[in-house]
This record gives sequence, structure tokens and C-alpha cells, in this order.
Amino acid sequence: MAERTGNEALLGQPFVITRAFNAPRDLVWKAWTEAKHLQHWWGPKGSKIEVLKFDFRTGGMFHYAMRYSTGAVMWGRFTFVDIAPPERLVFLNGFADETGEVARAPFPGAIPLQMENTVTFSEQAGKTTITLHSLPVNATDEERLFFEGMFASMTGGYGGTFDQLDGYLEIMLAA
Amino acid sequence: MTPQDQLSTTFAALADPTRRAILAKLALGETAVTELAKPFDMSLPAISKHLKVLEHAGLISRGREAQWRPCKLEAGPLKTADDWLEYYRQFWEERFDRLEGYLRVLQAKEKRNGRKNRK
Repeated sequence: MAERTGNEALLGQPFVITRAFNAPRDLVWKAWTEAKHLQHWWGPKGSKIEVLKFDFRTGGMFHYAMRYSTGAVMWGRFTFVDIAPPERLVFLNGFADETGEVARAPFPGAIPLQMENTVTFSEQAGKTTITLHSLPVNATDEERLFFEGMFASMTGGYGGTFDQLDGYLEIMLAA
Repeated sequence: MTPQDQLSTTFAALADPTRRAILAKLALGETAVTELAKPFDMSLPAISKHLKVLEHAGLISRGREAQWRPCKLEAGPLKTADDWLEYYRQFWEERFDRLEGYLRVLQAKEKRNGRKNRK
């Protein structure tokens, strides 16, 4: 997938989140791309993942149920868009129904049907840094512009989080 | 309007840099239209057009007084847009927390197995 650097420079940043893990990249990549690993960490806190379908190839799908001890259940899915081991994984993610069809979030409030997530894995001295870029799929131009431009232009509630991230990146660069 | 429509309208209104600048100015307090127009190299009708979009999105309200019509920031729709992003932030922070914990377990297991194999 082409880098979207041109647009980013013009419009600001898309939704980005970074985290460093104290583990080698091959292991982190496995944790993201094998069903037997994903079922141990994917899904909201307090839920258990049941893998219903796992077809790890470009265009393939991961369909899963998220089960809570209360009996509540939600379904979700990935569609793998680009697989470049062990550096980059691009996938669509959103809620699904029982049969694996894309579905609206099972709670009030408006969130996009699906997000396109680009996850990059980089290793330095045995530590792996994950950077995740996220954009709404099939969103209107306005939604995309908002998502990409919001951070650069508004003085709203994100200052704190991005300060933290900046501080974090500084520590990482210094390390 | 459904919540989804409301959000689209909010995003459409926020997608323009002039309108975001107007909102940033209004965040400092109620302001008259003529005052709002000053920092922009724009005619009053052009500014009025932007204000109409913001008003339609519920992002601002305007006073009734015909002459001075002060504009005021309305926080509701912005809060909704904010919630949306906050949802994703929490979503990923939580996933990463779980992944971190799981990687620790995996590595501990590998270590144990490594020792067993050497015996």
C-alpha cells in the first residue's frame, strides 16, 4: 500500500497510536497473525474470544465471537488487506453479526462500520515498537478530512494524550 | 437526525480550516460576527456562510438581536466527535495492555520450555 505522506503533510496526522513491547519482533508478529495467539489477547477486557473463522491471507477473514461471563456476546471481524511479514499488517476491523457480515456496533453512539488499520512492527535491541494508523473505511470525504485534520487544528481534548505520546517518543529516541 | 447523521454533519462542518479557526476563537467567548470576520481575509457574506454551516451543525448558536447577533460555541456536537476518537484510543490502549501481558506469558513459557529441553 502506498504511503499517504503527501496528504498527511497537508492535513495533519491520522489517528495514530504507538506502543513499545519488551519482546522480539517475530514473537509480536506471531501474536498478531496466528489464531491460537490472538484468542488470548484480542477482544475487550473481560471477554473471551472464540475463533469462528481464520483465513490468514490477503482478502481472507478472521471472524470471532467475544463472549462475556454474563452471557453477553458480540461478534467482530478482520479482513486482511496486506500482509508483509514481519513488518506490516493492514486489515479492516469492525463489528460483525453471527454469520460474519459487517454490522453496526451493538451499543449506542456512532462509530464507523469498519476501520482500516495499518500496523507496522519495528525492532530495536530486542524491543518491538508497534505503530498503528487508523482511518474509517468508506467514510465520506468530510469524515476522513476530520479524522486527519482534527489533531492538527483543534485545541480540544487531545493535548494531554499527544503530549504523553510526544514525551514517550522522546524517551524512545533517547533510549 | 440519527446519531450517525449528526456526526456526519459535525464532521462536515469541522472539515474546513476557516470554520475550525472560528470555533477556536469562539472558545474564548461570545463574539460578534463583525469581530469574528476581522482576522480572516474574507467578506462578511463569506463568513456568514461559514457561520450558517456551523449553526446548522449545532456547533454554534447565535443571539436574536438583529444587529449584533453574537455567536456562541455549543459544546454538544464537539463532545460527540470527541467521544468517537476517545473510543478508539481506549480500544487500542486496552488491546495493547492485553497484548503486553500475553507476550510476557508467552516469553515465560518459552523460557521454561527451553530449560526443559536442555535437561
